[in-house]
Amino acid sequence: MLIEQFSYSNRWRQVHPAAKSVFTLCGMIAGFLAHSPITASIMALLLIAVTCLGARIPLASYVRVSAAPLFFLLVSGTTLAVSLGWQGGFPWLCLESSQAQLFAAAHVAGRSLVCLTALLFLALTTPLNDLIALLRRIGFPAVLTDLMTLCYRTLFVFVEATHDITTAQSSRLGYASPRLALHSLGIMVASLTVQIWQRSLALHQSALSRANDGPLCFLTPDYPAVAGSLFVGILAGCALIALAMVRI
Amino acid sequence: MTIPDSATIMELREASYRYPDGSRGLDQCSISFERGMRTAVLGLNGAGKTTLFLQCNGVLRPQTGKVLLDGTPLNYGRQGLSNLRSRIGLVFQNPDAQLFSASVREDVSFGPLNLGLSISVVRDRVEQSLAAVGMSEYADRPVHALSYGQKKRVCIAGVLAMAPEVLILDEPMGGLDAAMQAELAAVLDQLHDNGMTIIIATHDIDFAYQWADRINVLEAGRCAASWHATELPRVIDKLKRFGIGVPKVAELHRHLVDAGLAAGGQPPRSHQQLLHQLAALCQVQ
Repeated sequence: MLIEQFSYSNRWRQVHPAAKSVFTLCGMIAGFLAHSPITASIMALLLIAVTCLGARIPLASYVRVSAAPLFFLLVSGTTLAVSLGWQGGFPWLCLESSQAQLFAAAHVAGRSLVCLTALLFLALTTPLNDLIALLRRIGFPAVLTDLMTLCYRTLFVFVEATHDITTAQSSRLGYASPRLALHSLGIMVASLTVQIWQRSLALHQSALSRANDGPLCFLTPDYPAVAGSLFVGILAGCALIALAMVRI
Repeated sequence: MTIPDSATIMELREASYRYPDGSRGLDQCSISFERGMRTAVLGLNGAGKTTLFLQCNGVLRPQTGKVLLDGTPLNYGRQGLSNLRSRIGLVFQNPDAQLFSASVREDVSFGPLNLGLSISVVRDRVEQSLAAVGMSEYADRPVHALSYGQKKRVCIAGVLAMAPEVLILDEPMGGLDAAMQAELAAVLDQLHDNGMTIIIATHDIDFAYQWADRINVLEAGRCAASWHATELPRVIDKLKRFGIGVPKVAELHRHLVDAGLAAGGQPPRSHQQLLHQLAALCQVQ
């Protein structure tokens, strides 16, 4: 929800999503091309600076949003950096590593970090709606964009429904003990399943009543200075790729 | 039952519908709606109000009987339904069941784009209909950040953007606080002043009595009664039998007249009108 909130309220909300997407794509390419872990780290810091200073995302919120993926990155980086080995005596199993292995792990983690910060830039500056509209405009299959539109909308409807049900259950001690919690959870899942079925029927009727008999069509939003923002996005993206080539 | 005439825009003739699970929707229902009128459809839960509206919009098709638009049976072909839905707009009871897109502006554009209108026309209509319901400043907000009342307004804007002749609203006041109800009533009055035919389903007989020109009562899938709103004070005993309540202001006025505390004549339609009548009486005395 924090990502959602910032995607609508950041300073670059009105910048064309294509410009932000191109910059993100270039950032990810630059991440793969990063020559060393140090280069990758510099690029990741640059992307964080662009997101926090350029789009005005508070650093504390950025840290909160990135905490979960950073944790996974740390776990996977650690497992790459060390490996299990055998030794003659007790306890037989030991952790091993080497200079080359550490470098390789740092390199992979650095590249992943660049990709992560690039994607966070896009997620925090561009509402999913705008991205779906962009996909529609560039000819992405309608069935997929329709599914994305409906899933995105219904996500919030069901978050609300789940919240209402758990509140109602909690108010009647539905989560007072682990056994009751499991029982309440089961009832909630069953209730949501029925709601999903009813909701899909209602959405279908609503679409019919608004003269729909094919793909879902929506107005594409207008953005100011499209060419200019695209140019800046491409230029900044190319600069990132050039930086990735620098040997540090 | 109303007698269809040239002013009738939509009519159901002995239409029946049962849902696939066997539950009754409509049962030999005959009802008509007049052009340019404000019509309220009253009835208990399960009386068939939503089914009636889905029939009017061509979403459901009667298993027996007919639905007529301008005296002609509905054409359920692709073109016929598109034409019908461009003329008869339906606003559902639950806004979350109607709103497709997470963006307000996008969702409002959904209907007119389905009609095949050009982008520039759709843009104009979207802005006009958002302005008509007072939601222009929320056009770029995500739908999930809106209140329930605001979502209802977006739903109405989404249908208004299709420029229908008839606007049907299923329980529009449900879940709204008094201030929001007053705002929505003002929006409906504005639309009616612009010549739109408006039909609403409601449980609130006080609102129906104050707002509507005509009142229809649905009971067990049939239109059990139809009166001009001004007739309601004379049929209070019949209304009580339907279990839909009676207009409190009309009942109170009758008691005041019986007690010699108010003048007879045309009963007031609202609490405000009753206060005015009483104030005028006090001045005379």
